[in-house]
Amino acid sequence: MRSALRAAALALVVGYCLAPFLWQVITSLRPTAELMSLPPLIPTRVTGEHYAAIFHGHPFLRIIANSALVAAGATLLALALGAPAAFALSILRVRGRAVILAGVLGISMFPPIATVSPLFLVLSTLGLHDTLFALVITYTAFSLPLAVWLLTNFFGAVPREIYIAARVDGCTAFGALVRVVLPLAAPGLLAAGLLTFVFAWNEFLFALTFTATEAARTVPVGIALFPGLHEVPYGEIAAAAVTVTLPVVVLAAFFQRRIIEGLTAGAVKG
Amino acid sequence: MKLERELDRPLWYLLPGGLLLVVVTLFPLGHVLWLSLQRHSLLHGPPRFVGLDNYLRLAGDERFWNALANTAYFAAVSVALELALGLAIALMIARVRRGRRLLYGVILLPWAVPTAVSARMWEWMYDAEIGVLNYLAGTHVNWLGSPAWALNAAIAMDVWKSTPFVVLLLLAGLQGIPRDVYRAAAVDGASGWSVLVRITLPLLAPVMLVALVFRTIDAFRVFDAIYVLTGGGPADSTETLSIYAYKVLFQGLEFGYGSALAVSVFVCVGLAALFYARLMREALR
Amino acid sequence: MRRVSRGARALCLACGAALVAACGAGGPAPGQTVVVFKHGKLFGDPAPLRALLDEFERQHPGVVVRDETLPAGSDEQHQFYAINLQARSAAFDVLAVDVIWVAEFAHAGWLQELTRLLPPAERAAFFPGPIEAVTHQGRVYAVPWFVDAGLLYYRKDLLEKHAFPVPRTWEELVRTARAVMAREPRIAGFVWQGKQYEGLVCNALEYLWSNGGGVLSGGRIVLDTPRNRQALAFMSDLVHRFGVTPGSVTTATEEPSRHVFGQGRALFMRNWPYAWRLFQDPGSRVHGKVGVTTLPHFEGGIPAATLGGWQLAVNRHSRQAAAASELVRHLTSVQAQKRLALAYGFQPARTALYRDPELLAAQPLLQVLERVFATARPRPVTPYYVRVSQVLQSELSAIISGRKSPEAALAAAERKLRKILADEA
Repeated sequence: MRSALRAAALALVVGYCLAPFLWQVITSLRPTAELMSLPPLIPTRVTGEHYAAIFHGHPFLRIIANSALVAAGATLLALALGAPAAFALSILRVRGRAVILAGVLGISMFPPIATVSPLFLVLSTLGLHDTLFALVITYTAFSLPLAVWLLTNFFGAVPREIYIAARVDGCTAFGALVRVVLPLAAPGLLAAGLLTFVFAWNEFLFALTFTATEAARTVPVGIALFPGLHEVPYGEIAAAAVTVTLPVVVLAAFFQRRIIEGLTAGAVKG
Repeated sequence: MKLERELDRPLWYLLPGGLLLVVVTLFPLGHVLWLSLQRHSLLHGPPRFVGLDNYLRLAGDERFWNALANTAYFAAVSVALELALGLAIALMIARVRRGRRLLYGVILLPWAVPTAVSARMWEWMYDAEIGVLNYLAGTHVNWLGSPAWALNAAIAMDVWKSTPFVVLLLLAGLQGIPRDVYRAAAVDGASGWSVLVRITLPLLAPVMLVALVFRTIDAFRVFDAIYVLTGGGPADSTETLSIYAYKVLFQGLEFGYGSALAVSVFVCVGLAALFYARLMREALR
Repeated sequence: MRRVSRGARALCLACGAALVAACGAGGPAPGQTVVVFKHGKLFGDPAPLRALLDEFERQHPGVVVRDETLPAGSDEQHQFYAINLQARSAAFDVLAVDVIWVAEFAHAGWLQELTRLLPPAERAAFFPGPIEAVTHQGRVYAVPWFVDAGLLYYRKDLLEKHAFPVPRTWEELVRTARAVMAREPRIAGFVWQGKQYEGLVCNALEYLWSNGGGVLSGGRIVLDTPRNRQALAFMSDLVHRFGVTPGSVTTATEEPSRHVFGQGRALFMRNWPYAWRLFQDPGSRVHGKVGVTTLPHFEGGIPAATLGGWQLAVNRHSRQAAAASELVRHLTSVQAQKRLALAYGFQPARTALYRDPELLAAQPLLQVLERVFATARPRPVTPYYVRVSQVLQSELSAIISGRKSPEAALAAAERKLRKILADEA
């Protein structure tokens, strides 16, 4: 009985997460003439014209590649800078760590709309207008607070004895970080990485302001370029949404192994 | 022993990240704070230092208080729902044995869709005339067009979109709980519910705090989603602080006052973060 | 150490790739002038515009024109221009500006003066409305490119079926709509744009003007007047008293209202000309059933339509001002406007083209549009228009959603607008 209830709850959750997206999938396969009519709920015939259109009219593949580069770059950079910082804050126990953590958090508490204008000045002065690099460092900087906080949390959960034992064995601090702490905190690393990736993948305001041409255009700006002055091509937007979301989901599912592998039905009760 | 000598090394670990943060964010943030003390309308010529005038103006601005009320309501309700729902889902996923990989991907879907697309999608679903929600429920509710419903509709969309964020963090946190703890509890014959409350939740508390703080920060700064959905209407009923700040900055071109608005968001979030920290400390005692 | 080197290698690879990609387009060849044309996305094939730009390049050897698009949304473009122009960016030379921004950008010192491109004699070749909008303190800061104005769409077939003429006054429209709604199931009487955004102000102004009222007069706010109260009471009554407009108007922008009408679920619609082309598509449910005319007016008033459209301007900080001005001249020439009109279905700003047989054959609607555009009025031409619009949007939305009475909303709006203008003086 309880397992039936649980299965029902699970189905509800899955439905809840999936339903709007499923609606997007259906919309992306609807012929243009039927796009706005309800009924029918399921289109009478299926068409791939919207998927063809998003690649035909715009350099969408290049845009997706740009996004992938920026997101991957920002993620790796954020982890590469955030992990040592979290290490210093949690295990090496730097003095004034509360202040540092609060300060880092403070950075993420400003609305991006206020910082976009002066940031534009900074990046233009550095000659980084319309480059992917500008986006990479911007996204890294704005993801660092979350990464540092998360990693500090997860590193802090690593028992100190293990670290001390590694050091006693002759490891340098950095070696201990890499060989001992990182593997134990892998779930946190991957969670932070995934969140940074999705943030960089979906960010719009900075991407719009700091880029001008397809050379550095990313997906959200690309999609914003589909509509005309009044016309909104819902079919194409739906097709684009499906196209850009699935890779992220596949990526996440691929990396989830380390995040939830350790959870077995017996381990968590309640 | 040699561990003590670490104390002069930690700064090297903080340096690369710190450097990037300083280069990228120090000037913009300082600039925002500095601008908030100026009268700087782009249509008026050079900026003029006015001290705390902008903040005084803020205090007397009814539109600011309306935006603050909307934002506080939005943040409180959406974060509470996201946390509760996220916890429930995370616990559910942890118990599933097969198909976890697929399940994980599905749960993450709402977070992975770009915000603007998500908002358009929901705008269409909420449409009173041709939206699928009214069609399936057989109702004719003006979800986004009535001041009573609009903000709640926006909350529902944000909860849908952001719960995976919480789920992701909590799952990673659950992973980190050593299994011996549960085995010991099983040996003691503890019931499922008491294991949850006495063991799981306290151990998850630090990650929950991180989720809470960051979700609150994001909820207070929410802009894209609501702007595409309603533009701040109807009758300013969904105008949040960020939307108001956006309109002041980029439509009204008042950079001084807009920066003061941004600082007010910062202050609100800071207060909320302090509140949470205190709450956590009390709860854990 | 393997994990470090793998991670380090991946990191270097990613950064390297990003840097390589970042060095994308490369600079212009030496001796070449690059003129960057920044504009909102044109819906359709980019080839015709590119052909025009190539033609310009041929006529001006040594000049290369780069065409950069922005999202078509007015807000995003305004924000983009505000950030860039305030930072004195020279990254673009020619920009397409919305009709409501010219006074604002000119006042902020962001646009080159273009009076020599439009001497007084030349101005007569364009519609008067756009010319008024691009003139600031007696000088011209942009050249009109495309024009837009509000129209009344109606279902010819339904009006014929129930033997009603096309309404000339608002009162007539309401009577017709109620009568037809009583006899036709599930038909809305009149759909228009009532969401809290710029389009709402466009709609509301049409009621205000057609009742002899308005917002500004001689530079002063004259909002809280009996005529205006009457007009906005009517607007509110459309939803709350006559039941002719569905309550969902508070979320309606151009496309949702276009879809409702295009699905055959409305009798009248107020919208821009773009919808006509979409209704003429073979697959459209209202194909051949749609008529278009000027908007109605109140008894004793005159018809009024809100002016929309885009103009071309030159960035004040452009390093190629001369070449940029020439590009503006080229793109707003008779030939260029005609070609773009044929390719993208836009309505040209030059009056002569409305007698052009080729264009009329391709877009028969232009005959009706000529009348409408000749009397279309620009929204209040002031550098502070966008702030004025925000106040109006908020109060108008309060009226339509039933939160405030027209009297209270107008009084509040007048108070706030006076304060804005007083602050700026």
